[in-house]
Amino acid sequence: MNSENLKTSAASAIVQLSHVDKEYQLGKVTVPALHDVSISIQAGEFTVIAGPSGSGKTTLLNLIGCVDVATRGQVIIDGRNTLELKEKELTRLRLDRLGFIFQSFNLVGVLDAFQNVEFPLLLQKTLGKKEREARVQALMESVGIAQYAHHRPGELSGGQRQRVAIARALVTKPRIVLADEPTANLDSVTGTAILDLMQELNRQGTTFLFSTHDPRVVARAGRVIRLFDGRIEQAGTESARADEASAHAAPQAGGQP
Amino acid sequence: MNTLLMIATRNLAQHKRRTMLLGSAVAMVTTLLVILLSLFSGMRTTMLRTATTLMTGHVNVAGFYKITTGTAAPLVTKYQGLTELVKKSTPGLKAVVTRGRGWGKVVSESSSIQAALSGLNIDSEPLFRDVVEVSKGSLDGLRDPHTVLLFEQQAERLQVKVGDNVTLSSSTFRGANNTVDLRVVAIAKDLGFMSGFNVYVHADSIRELYELDPNTTGAIQVMIKDANEAENVANTLRKAIEDAGYRMMDRVPQPFWRKFESVRREDWTGQKIDITTWSDEMAFMRYTLDTVQVLTIVVVSVLVVIIIVGVMNTLWMAIRERTKEIGTLRAIGMQRGYVLRMFVTEMAVLAFSSTAIGALLAAALCWMVNAAHIVVPKAFQVFLMSQTLQLAPDFGIAIRSLLTIAIVTTLGALFPAYRATKLQPVTAMHAGN
Ligand SMILES: Nc1ncnc2c1ncn2[C@@H]1O[C@H](COP(=O)(O)OP(=O)(O)O)[C@@H](O)[C@H]1O
Ligand SMILES: [Mg+2]
Repeated sequence: MNSENLKTSAASAIVQLSHVDKEYQLGKVTVPALHDVSISIQAGEFTVIAGPSGSGKTTLLNLIGCVDVATRGQVIIDGRNTLELKEKELTRLRLDRLGFIFQSFNLVGVLDAFQNVEFPLLLQKTLGKKEREARVQALMESVGIAQYAHHRPGELSGGQRQRVAIARALVTKPRIVLADEPTANLDSVTGTAILDLMQELNRQGTTFLFSTHDPRVVARAGRVIRLFDGRIEQAGTESARADEASAHAAPQAGGQP
Repeated sequence: MNTLLMIATRNLAQHKRRTMLLGSAVAMVTTLLVILLSLFSGMRTTMLRTATTLMTGHVNVAGFYKITTGTAAPLVTKYQGLTELVKKSTPGLKAVVTRGRGWGKVVSESSSIQAALSGLNIDSEPLFRDVVEVSKGSLDGLRDPHTVLLFEQQAERLQVKVGDNVTLSSSTFRGANNTVDLRVVAIAKDLGFMSGFNVYVHADSIRELYELDPNTTGAIQVMIKDANEAENVANTLRKAIEDAGYRMMDRVPQPFWRKFESVRREDWTGQKIDITTWSDEMAFMRYTLDTVQVLTIVVVSVLVVIIIVGVMNTLWMAIRERTKEIGTLRAIGMQRGYVLRMFVTEMAVLAFSSTAIGALLAAALCWMVNAAHIVVPKAFQVFLMSQTLQLAPDFGIAIRSLLTIAIVTTLGALFPAYRATKLQPVTAMHAGN
């Protein structure tokens, strides 16, 4: 991607990475995790980061999620260069513009489902009680967990917990929802249901970017970013969907344009 | 704040065992602190009450009278006018008594003791009646001239009973020897070492012994409402008395009796007034109280350190367990300050509830100890100047202890909580729970 392209796409992109490297320092050893990654994600996309274990999916999501910093390159989220932001501003950016869904749900154990979903709004302190509760209620209904509002996470199944987590991620109406292998800890039926939900929410306007190493999940993506050894192998598009089926059988074929 | 409190209480409830353990430790330390402070305050109250009533007042307005340059007598002449002036000039006045004073021998048929002599008018000594508990005879007997009150151990030494006669013997300030015969009218329970060397007689017996006129007394003793104000009151009185034209001794923070030798050598004659406070007079008492206070501080400091270690340890555990939760909350947008407040709130909730319980427990224990009228061993009675252990808990002590421990506990939480704020949001992404 040349710089010309970068500029034009940057205008409307929610996520804009250019020539990003990420290296981990393990004592004296430098572990390269990402190399020369440039991507841009537009509003409304339903993008999957695919790749085998260790290919750098989590690292990439961490950089986009502003919980880690790139070694080199630029990470621009919703028009803001994250390298230039202070810790406090980054935290606020995560709160206001990003939604997170975690592989192991990561709900607060001592809060019930409703309170978990409500929590980011409490941190934001922008909505009044009435408005806040109405929004939480509506969201819980739309992800199908309204009847579990007063259950604590420990009393919920994995699928139910991930629904709570999805509601929590969406409650602030973020610009983009990031999810690192959101179905990895779920059985396939539940995983499929969660994906259905995410897709439905995407149709209603939420931008999703999530990682997976499950080919069946990849098959449902609107767009696929393939990682291998920390490099982008192929940026799939809506039109590339047809190729996905064969890609499962022979992952090496992913390298084809 | 509401959310913070909810998270705090729920997390505490979640880890019942740990919460109970630390909570009871904090409560116990609070209990101990309240009891120690109550004991200290009880001791102080008892000692102060006994010593000031028996010997010095809170402020002791005494005088030296020098007939010639080589002599000195512990006298205040024309004391009535000065007493009125003192009454008028003392802020927070509770009572004023005049006491004749001297030093002599009490002789019975079988034995004798050396004693500090005090001459009093029992009818103007309501506080004396509160402090001195008569076991035989009656204080009213001291209304009659030529009467004496002895303490039990003195009566035992002299082998006398109520109704027996003793002879008071001393040399007058002119140097001649003189005696007065007295009838024992009351024997009182011992009050620590104070009762070893103090003998109380009718005021006129002192005058007779030392050949004094009725307008002369030994000291004007001032009792005030707040013993801590003694120094200020003494200064006020010094100024007022000096302004009224009396000659004053220079301020020397030493017991009146200690100054005798040096005054004797000074080359002025006539009357000078010397004002001291109970703490000048009772340096030993201050030492005792200071020692108890230092001991209290040491004990409490050790306990406080233990609590801090306990708090830090507990919090480390909680933080280690909740690393992922903290990371998650940081990732979804919780600021560092909120993480800090979250853990500090948790410890503060624990601290304030357990200190409150501890303080209540202590109040109950103090009440029980006082109700039980525990008689302390003789050795302690000497210092305590009382026969029973009296704890004096009050609301102030309880609140102060409670706040101290609670604040210390909360401060102990600060460091671990601060470390928790440094946890990276990335930890949320790590696998496992
Ligand atoms: N905190 C870390 N310290 C050192 N190396 C890491 C760290 N996190 C990831 N890596 C390495 O970076 C590479 C990419 O890891 P990761 O982004 O977790 O891949 P994926 O999520 O696709 O499995 C791997 O080689 C991994 O070992
Ligand atoms: Mg991963």
